[in-house]
Amino acid sequence: MDILEIVIGAVALLMTLRIFLERSRARKLLYLCCLSFCISALIALYVKSPMGGITAIVYFITSTLSSNAIAYTIEQTKHIE
Amino acid sequence: MDEIVVSILKMLVAGAICWINFVIIDTYFGLPEQPGVLGAKMIGEKVKDIGGNLHGGYFMGNIVCSPDASAGTLLASIMNYLMGVEGGLITALLVWIGNRLCADPGYAGTIGALTITAIISLLKPIIEPKYFVAGMVLAIFTIQGLDHKHASLLLGKIAKKMNRGE
Repeated sequence: MDILEIVIGAVALLMTLRIFLERSRARKLLYLCCLSFCISALIALYVKSPMGGITAIVYFITSTLSSNAIAYTIEQTKHIE
Repeated sequence: MDEIVVSILKMLVAGAICWINFVIIDTYFGLPEQPGVLGAKMIGEKVKDIGGNLHGGYFMGNIVCSPDASAGTLLASIMNYLMGVEGGLITALLVWIGNRLCADPGYAGTIGALTITAIISLLKPIIEPKYFVAGMVLAIFTIQGLDHKHASLLLGKIAKKMNRGE
């Protein structure tokens, strides 16, 4: 295993842990964003083909879209509470 | 053993280059000035609640809510690693589509993808593109994953210096 994959994997594991420990739902999204970066990089490093790159891009952009939707929903429900 | 030290050094240098690339471009395009979408505003306020800087918080919120120069930098390094320079150009197009999907007018993502493509093609003989992939993960880790309070204070200071937001 390459040293790069080990470093990225370690960052990803640390982020997973911090997502579980963080209480604030908004700040969970920040850690989740960092985790998406890690997963996207790992997809590209493991699937060494142009299709792997496209998969990484599509994964990353759609995960940003869902983060966007979740953050919007948290802001909206704040008024209801 | 020597090889590992060299590759770690390369990764750190690539990380520093990526960090400077995406922070300067994102700040220049006004990410810290105002939240581009409603969700980014909420994240900025939450970061301010823990003692951070509001404009630094907007910066972090905007990164979460739409693919900006940070995403452009990562995805362009990935495609440069897998496909070469053409990959960087394809990424610029896809990131631009992603920006439009997130209702973000920002051209930060596209410009970021293009500048990192230029940097990688210049530095290719010394630092291979795969080090930029890992370097970008480390760069985003220092902003989003390490310490939100101090990261937002630093980003706020940079924004102030570049006349973006207070």
